[in-house]
Amino acid sequence: MYGRRASQLLKELGSCEAGQLTPFDSDSFDQVTKECNKHNLQLQSLIRKIEDQNLDIQTTRNEDHFGAVIHHLSLTRNKRCLMAYMYNRAEVIQSFRWKVGPVLPQEIQEKLNYSEEEYFKSHSAAIESYMSELDLDLTVDMVPPKDPYIRVRVLDDIGEVCLGDHSISLTKHSLHFLRRTDAEQFISQGLMEEFLE
Amino acid sequence: MPGYYDINDILMEEEPIAVVFQVGANGVGLLDPGAETNSVEKGAKVDLPFWLAHELYLRQAVSISIPACFGQKTRKEIQADAACVDLRIRCPYFYELGCKIVPLVSDKSIGPFVRYAFTSRYKEILSKSHSAPVATVPKFLPRLTKEETQLFEAARSSMAAFKKWRVGGSRLEKAPILGRKRKTTFPIRPSTP
Repeated sequence: MYGRRASQLLKELGSCEAGQLTPFDSDSFDQVTKECNKHNLQLQSLIRKIEDQNLDIQTTRNEDHFGAVIHHLSLTRNKRCLMAYMYNRAEVIQSFRWKVGPVLPQEIQEKLNYSEEEYFKSHSAAIESYMSELDLDLTVDMVPPKDPYIRVRVLDDIGEVCLGDHSISLTKHSLHFLRRTDAEQFISQGLMEEFLE
Repeated sequence: MPGYYDINDILMEEEPIAVVFQVGANGVGLLDPGAETNSVEKGAKVDLPFWLAHELYLRQAVSISIPACFGQKTRKEIQADAACVDLRIRCPYFYELGCKIVPLVSDKSIGPFVRYAFTSRYKEILSKSHSAPVATVPKFLPRLTKEETQLFEAARSSMAAFKKWRVGGSRLEKAPILGRKRKTTFPIRPSTP
């Protein structure tokens, strides 16, 4: 059936949880693009057939016309599916910059295709230049903290890190008292957790 | 109005509709499994996805018959006990398809029927979504259509958010995209020298 493969591509995307990403399915994507080309060729040949019979292309409603209509509709349907696939992935990729930070872990990077990686980099750069213009970090927690400092437990060996004017050794299971803004990025990356009594 | 990029709208339009061709069409033999040539004859009965059936109907090329999920059998079951009917197996986009098919068919009772089905099922979905335990998947969930499942999830997550707000606790959390497992082996970040 026409457009079946394109809708399967979207089903795959729709079945994963909101905010998550499946690996870019370039096989199906290329096949749908090929399908589009095939529809285009058949559309052209049907139109040519009508023209060869010296019929008016605007008013003719013969069998060739409806064949051409079906190919045209299938073509635009496939296009809509492909556009929606890219658009919805791009939305998720944008959200990564806010949730994870400017550097993506390998496991996520593997799911992107080349143009999506470029998109992420450019989006990230745009946000960074805007934030440096404002001189304000927009990615931190929106609710004003009651205390500018926070107690955290380190969940993974991070190593020696330079925070502000001093460096600190973040080893696994150690407890620290850090500035909230410094800790936030480690927490969102899953390397630390807030230590609550 | 659903957007051009709306995944659910696109998937809904994939639902098969039985149509009868009022004209012939060349070069599209794939649509009719019984066709001997590469074309569809006038009068052929074919199942088409909704997006194609809809557009062809507007061009008066096909006539649409009412999908089985709005037929007498389902109506009787909905009247008997709406909440117990497995609507997903009949059509995962029951309500959306219902709304879109109403203008295309002569039977005007579909609109009130879809409305009746929704109002009688809605109350139960809402009360269950607020009371069901968060960790388990309720037994009745597979019976819900896609739209109902979204309602259910929305109600459940707003209840969870309310409870979290009332109890208080850490606002800072790991990004959900990084997976739920705590002990995933991350590639070690290059440590600052």
